[in-house]
Amino acid sequence: MPGVRTRKPSLFAHYKTLLAKDLQREFRTKDMLSSMAIYALLVLGVYGEAPSQTGRQFEIRQMSGGLLWALIVFTSLLGLNRSFSYEKENGCLEGILLVPLDRSVVFLAKATSNLVFLLAVEVVVLPLFSFFFLTTTNPAPTWPMMLLPLLVGTIGIAGIGTLLSTITVNTRGKDVMLAVLFIPLVFPLLYACASATTVVVAGGDIEGVFMNSVLLAVGYDLVMVLRSWVLSDFAVSA
Amino acid sequence: MGGIAVQVDHVSKVFGDRYALDDVSLDVPEGAFLSIFGPNGAGKTTLLRILATLSRPTSGSVSIAGISCKDDPDAARDQIGMISHSSMLYADLSAEQNLLLYARLYGIDSAQERVDEMLEAVELSHRRLDVVRTFSRGMTQRLAIARALLHDPQVVLLDEPYSGLDPHAVEIFDSLLDSVREGRTFVMVSHDLRKGFEACTHALVLARGAKVAYAAKDDIDYQAFSALYRDTVGMGVS
Repeated sequence: MPGVRTRKPSLFAHYKTLLAKDLQREFRTKDMLSSMAIYALLVLGVYGEAPSQTGRQFEIRQMSGGLLWALIVFTSLLGLNRSFSYEKENGCLEGILLVPLDRSVVFLAKATSNLVFLLAVEVVVLPLFSFFFLTTTNPAPTWPMMLLPLLVGTIGIAGIGTLLSTITVNTRGKDVMLAVLFIPLVFPLLYACASATTVVVAGGDIEGVFMNSVLLAVGYDLVMVLRSWVLSDFAVSA
Repeated sequence: MGGIAVQVDHVSKVFGDRYALDDVSLDVPEGAFLSIFGPNGAGKTTLLRILATLSRPTSGSVSIAGISCKDDPDAARDQIGMISHSSMLYADLSAEQNLLLYARLYGIDSAQERVDEMLEAVELSHRRLDVVRTFSRGMTQRLAIARALLHDPQVVLLDEPYSGLDPHAVEIFDSLLDSVREGRTFVMVSHDLRKGFEACTHALVLARGAKVAYAAKDDIDYQAFSALYRDTVGMGVS
């Protein structure tokens, strides 16, 4: 067999290749997207039905931030649980780790693909959420600003969730383990994003509560995503 | 030729208070085929994972093709190909997509040409667009050979590669290995004494993490060796 010429690819080239692999796989199977989307739609159905059985009038606008973020967190758990399971199937992760590459790139590519999948599900779910819960309740004119906490929160969830799914993929009862670690860890982010969302939907102090909550969420993202990236080498190699 | 392809120098690996490998040293000459035998829990796979840079030794050092795995793991990884009982292939990607992924990660020039060449070599060109999930075990293992040899490694590690193969698939696998054997060094973990001994130029017996015997095949009397192996297997695990 003739010698093969190789040139060490850049970090970005490795990142692009790994990200393309995840997108290619999901494009073919639609496993994560379909399961997350179906789950989110079912939860929306439950949300729609449950308050109607209470026999009282709810001020749904006040609850909308919490409802939306509960929906996002639990839907993302479903996807995150699967994201590294695919890498373990057939020892694929070991195959990738045999390649001379910076192992944090594996984390970055996986976190990016998880972010893309979460955003894709949100693109489907958010209009439905707005249709079911906001069109009939006369939300504040600032409600489109909820896109900002949504984006910031989703970035944080994808980053931290990817690191935790890397850590828990080899544990017994990994589904429960991920939830047990993930929810307390993202609680500050969840709190900030739910507050910011509620303020823009129900109407409130945009310059005060909204901006402070978004800034808290951005700060949380910077610290935690950076920390996840630094720790990812150990988590992926373990 | 004539140098040392794999050097294991006083390597120990400890899990908790248990020695998976206990002060193992050996030199494997270039072009040799080393078969590693031993009972379950003897440390065979642990040693192979250390050689593959997938695990770090607790003490001692390993060099691949003269490159220290500790000092320059990426350069060492460039010299390593691994074929395991896990295929390290993404089941939901096609044969071609899998090989292209690895070719790009290794930075192979003319990746598509190299992939075509390897698919031809393992006689899977006609199934290039089919997803790996639809392949038989034998076909998957042939594709795993193509994956492992894509970057033309000097040292090929085999972790029980015959596991799950039917006799016909074993024949095909053997002839493929023969065709790529020239100029490469092989290290194989096997439970099959007859096959492992047939293929090897050197044999290593491990038990309870320690080296029991290591010799060139020419210096070994098969009857005495198989008796030693039976005694060793009788020792069980630590």
